Amino acid sequence: MKFLSLILKNVFRKKTRTILTIGSIILPLLVICIMGSFLKALDAPDPAETKGMFRIVTRHKVGLTSDLPLSYAQRIRQLNGALGVTTFDWFGGVYIDNSARNFFARFAVEPETFLQVFDDARVTRGSIEDWMSDRAGALAGEDLMKKFGWKLGDQVVLVGDIYPVTLQLTIKAVYGVSYGGSDGLFFNRKYLEEALPSFEGTVGTIWIKCADADAANRLSNEIDQMFDNSPYPTKTESEKAFQMGFVSMLGNVKLLLTSLGVIIVLVIVLIAANTMALSARERVREIAVLRTLGYTRKMILMLILGESLILALTGGFLGLAIFIMGLKPLKISLMNTPISGFASAIMPFPEVILVGFGVSLFVGILSGIGPAIRASQRPITEGLRHMG
Amino acid sequence: MGIPVKYNIRNLIVRKITTGLTVLGIALVVAVFLCVMSLAEGLTRVFQSSGSERNVIVIRQNSQSEIQSGIYRDQVPLVITLAGIEHDTDGTPLASPELVVGLNLEKIEGGTSNVTLRGVSEKGALLRPKFELVEGRMFTPGLSEVIVSRGISKRFKNCGLGDTIRFGSYKWNVVGVFDAGGTAPDSEIWTDVEGALSDFKRSAYSSVLLRTADIISRKEIIKALAFDPRLSLEGKSERVYYEEQTATAEPIKFLGFFIGVIMAIGASFGAMNTMYATVSARTQEIATLRVLGFSRIAILSSFVIEALCLALLGGVLGCLFGILAVNFALSGITGTTNFSTFSEVVFAFRLTPKLLIMGIVFSFFTGLLGGILPASRAAFTKITLALRQAG
Repeated sequence: MKFLSLILKNVFRKKTRTILTIGSIILPLLVICIMGSFLKALDAPDPAETKGMFRIVTRHKVGLTSDLPLSYAQRIRQLNGALGVTTFDWFGGVYIDNSARNFFARFAVEPETFLQVFDDARVTRGSIEDWMSDRAGALAGEDLMKKFGWKLGDQVVLVGDIYPVTLQLTIKAVYGVSYGGSDGLFFNRKYLEEALPSFEGTVGTIWIKCADADAANRLSNEIDQMFDNSPYPTKTESEKAFQMGFVSMLGNVKLLLTSLGVIIVLVIVLIAANTMALSARERVREIAVLRTLGYTRKMILMLILGESLILALTGGFLGLAIFIMGLKPLKISLMNTPISGFASAIMPFPEVILVGFGVSLFVGILSGIGPAIRASQRPITEGLRHMG
Repeated sequence: MGIPVKYNIRNLIVRKITTGLTVLGIALVVAVFLCVMSLAEGLTRVFQSSGSERNVIVIRQNSQSEIQSGIYRDQVPLVITLAGIEHDTDGTPLASPELVVGLNLEKIEGGTSNVTLRGVSEKGALLRPKFELVEGRMFTPGLSEVIVSRGISKRFKNCGLGDTIRFGSYKWNVVGVFDAGGTAPDSEIWTDVEGALSDFKRSAYSSVLLRTADIISRKEIIKALAFDPRLSLEGKSERVYYEEQTATAEPIKFLGFFIGVIMAIGASFGAMNTMYATVSARTQEIATLRVLGFSRIAILSSFVIEALCLALLGGVLGCLFGILAVNFALSGITGTTNFSTFSEVVFAFRLTPKLLIMGIVFSFFTGLLGGILPASRAAFTKITLALRQAG
């Protein structure tokens, strides 16, 4: 590594060029990191693996817009191995206005059984008793409270779209989760039943907590068989499969983002390779001189390759540092854009950082290898004769 | 007097590799931008071309789309007897009470998505001028038969002519395939509305679609619905209804610009590098030009022109890449979920001339940004110093 100082001298010989090259590595790398975080966030971890949560979800086989009879929840409760059963109804509705910023998940649930099934959530402020005591009470996520600056006891008004009612909810309790986002709002389904009698006796999805993976598999089949020939056939799947169903609705987002990522890497390689080609060409005569001084072909190869690696890795480290440090302001500034839903999912995932590092290493090698080989193979005489 | 552009072109040719790498870099950036934007354009297009000027869609007040709406059976006669609705040749009003239900179907490529099953009345097809049955026949009311759009039949399992769509005790035979000319029904499955109501045990329709006699009666019907307290329904021009759903394409558009702008700045850094190298290699030449009497402005504009040539070459190549990609690699139909109706929307990538111009404009700014600083360095070269500098 005694040539390190020589390589560094070369890297910073043309400061403007070095800064521009590093800049042109940082910017696309940022794009790759952001897109990679989207991809990673879409691929949410399986709750069964990470937390030992074996939850399954029962819905109408036809689709989420068709409801099930509420009595199904009671029948599932009697099955062997169902540790907890609770119901979910997507309320939808409008909070303030229809903008992306004011959109969040709102569900009508059963407060009595809610935490039996979602026992990875803990109540951080207020209490479940408070929530249950007020029929118009609501349980809100910590992240949501922060986003809107809500306090315990605040009123939240939701104007219904699926259900023609306006709900006036009071935040009675706040929950947090150790992993992932807490940005849902839950309220008592009895409040909705009172406001809208036609809602009574129907349910969107039924969530079941099972003892282990075997029980989850067995129960899924048992439930679907039990209702298969009824007027309301069901489909039961694991929490992970249920969530992946939403991701697959987006279509080929993964393929799109991945192929964009590959093209972007190619762009960085082109720009960096250009810089290296420029530097190597300007130094043809100099390299010939080095050769006459006794530098071997291999050393020349290493000198130029080392230079491109240092350039790319500097760009890479700076890019990743900016990504990690700029994440918060970036998330906030994306809050009011059409991609706010995705922005909240951006996190400095270790995998993304690793990919970013890999990309800069790849760029360093690929951009330097061509000019390095050419420079090391050029005969000394030709190099000395070269006109800059 | 200006320096001939030929001088710049020749310079670009002399430095083949550098020029090539820079041009290719800019071209790829433009191509990425064009692909993302043509995706957004294709999606927007579906909503903008859907909906006829004279049609009015009636939904429940405050429901954002049909899927959230509900219209009770006894409200329908009040709606379809409003003044201003066009009548069919047999004297019945051109109106179709409809029901939409999301069917969770399996895609051929794997995964599932919600497809809109639309129960239509006999006037349903008449109200959609672009509707055309391309294979098989129309469904027969009361027989659990459906017709499937061509886009859906290609993307989802069991949706071809002669197949059966099954859900437990539910069963529908596919008896026809239709095409709606790139409008919203191209993402739907149709069946008889009364059959659908009883199949799904619904007591309410989702919407009523009306054809009005003219634009004036359209406005009057919308007004009449808004001021009728018995109904608590709202009417919207069908075109407005679909245009409100173009929000689905907004995230993709934003992503396109976001990636495009950042990448364009990155590429302009690359162009700047190339131009700086060009300028420093030609210091003596520039000084000679100044001695010959070319003004600073002439030299400045000459180098900016060179950068612009470089970038525009990249822009044109990028457009070419974009056209090739969209017409060959991305030529098929694709789908995503429309989150205002929570159901599949089928569309094709669309590369419009407007987008191509935007791509060229992008590359133009890349060149301008990349050329202006190196060009000013060239223009302010000190003649004596530069001439004395050893090549």
